Amino acid sequence: MNGAKIRAVVDKEIADARKNKMIIISMALVPVLLVALTLGTAYFMLNSGDEMDESDVGIIPAELRDMDPMHAFLMLMNDQYLFYFLIIPMMMPVYIAAYSIVGEKETKSLEPLLATPISVWELLVAKSIAAVVPSVILTWLSFIVLVIGGYFIMPEPVFLGLIRPVWIVGMALLSPLLALLSVFSGVIASSRINDPRTAQQVTGIFIVPIVALSLAVLAGKIFLSVGVVILASAVTLLIDCVVLYFAVKLFQRETILTRWK
Amino acid sequence: MNEVKVIKTQGLTKRFGDNLAVEDLTLDVERGEVFAFLGPNGAGKTTTVRLLTALIGPTAGRAWVNGYELGQDDMNIRRGVGILTEAPGLYERLDAVQNLTLYARLYEVEDVTGQVEKYLRLLGLWERRDEPVGGFSKGMKQKLAIARALLHEPPLLFLDEPTAALDPEAARTVRDFITQIKGTGRTIFLCTHNLDEADRLADRIGVIKQRLVQVDSPANLRRSLYGRRVVVHLVTVTEAVRAAVGGLPFVREVQQVDNTLVIGLDNPEEQNPTLVERIVGAGGAIQFVTELRHSLEDVYFALLEEGEGEVTR
Repeated sequence: MNGAKIRAVVDKEIADARKNKMIIISMALVPVLLVALTLGTAYFMLNSGDEMDESDVGIIPAELRDMDPMHAFLMLMNDQYLFYFLIIPMMMPVYIAAYSIVGEKETKSLEPLLATPISVWELLVAKSIAAVVPSVILTWLSFIVLVIGGYFIMPEPVFLGLIRPVWIVGMALLSPLLALLSVFSGVIASSRINDPRTAQQVTGIFIVPIVALSLAVLAGKIFLSVGVVILASAVTLLIDCVVLYFAVKLFQRETILTRWK
Repeated sequence: MNEVKVIKTQGLTKRFGDNLAVEDLTLDVERGEVFAFLGPNGAGKTTTVRLLTALIGPTAGRAWVNGYELGQDDMNIRRGVGILTEAPGLYERLDAVQNLTLYARLYEVEDVTGQVEKYLRLLGLWERRDEPVGGFSKGMKQKLAIARALLHEPPLLFLDEPTAALDPEAARTVRDFITQIKGTGRTIFLCTHNLDEADRLADRIGVIKQRLVQVDSPANLRRSLYGRRVVVHLVTVTEAVRAAVGGLPFVREVQQVDNTLVIGLDNPEEQNPTLVERIVGAGGAIQFVTELRHSLEDVYFALLEEGEGEVTR
């Protein structure tokens, strides 16, 4: 692996993405909306003047039964929103990766690039870094903004729920792994399609388990623990390896030039 | 391997499933020569370039590029060649400097900034270096793609259709630049449909239709196919003139078209003075004497026709 070559491609990818308004708008819009939605929900619920009892909240997990019903409800809502924060690193990288590969297919810039003395591994790593790193940083930044906003808006027990270890581990561990999963599936999708949006839709399938987990939490079936997040991370890592295996098989010079449609 | 041979192939074959793209290609390209590779669409030109730049692997046969064997030392092959692909393949949102800088870094050029500036100036793009290349004309894009292929000063350059889809002015600029590169001693492997371009630039041409039909210099190909002929324009062609010309032992054939004689000779440089002397002696009034030159197009089609029977799919 040659770090200088990887850096060269990463620099190019970032410079290219920065000049693509579509990518910038897509990247900025979702995190901004999610932060606003999470903080807005907390602010309006707390300032509505309505009281809540246990029957309003529905099924509250045993872990939250000692809390004020309004606070318990907000914690459940926050957990829902935080699941969507985990979806950010799945949505963004696939778009960037698919765009960077599909875009190169469209402009026919892959052939001269593949003719340089860069290995396909270096190219795949560079494209993955260029897609994963900005998305993960953006997710983390959004989380930090949310935590700062939550500190000022949310009551202490709800705020502490926001920064409990399960979400710190989720953001630090699960979020990059989900981003990698998204990129590798984007590479696979790019070999057969010519539209980055289609790649995004194809890899949308991986969002289903996240949404299912979030619904289980909302229904009070599961209360998220560090153990659950670590288990989810391990499963994601395993899926990452399987998807990477297929991505590498497809990401070969001859295959790209002669079989990619 | 002989160091003079920049490219050497032995029975190089490439098959995509049932489709035979290149068959049994055996070819040598010498250091410093411009080798034009001609053939109809789908004849295997681009596949050959992809094979020789280690972008794809052969189904059979062997090849050496700059002394490195294909399939054994592909990284070194890529380091030593520059390639202008059929489409310029530039990053349209990036500017000219950013486009070239990426490649200079990938080729591990020592003085990235210096090399980028050198080639942008050389190709007249320096003043527009900060503009996104998406706004460049086709000719400018092609020049930038040529600059990209030369940044690392490769000894061997592959140019795939360098003037295709360019207007005559842009095509001329690109052609002039190729002539300039030729002067630097680089070996150029030129794939083109433009026969006039091949005729002007190439030291040798190879005609391919899946398998190599023929390789030689344009002049030798003309000679081997048509022999050499001189055209003598006279005020009037008389019987005496015809008899005088026909009586010369070295004249292979004589054809008359109006007041012009087309005379087949083996060595016009030596035989023309005697021929002219004999015509004048027979009372002929000569207006012009020129050599009949067949176009490369004639040669190309004749070779393809000749090779047709040999092509196996």
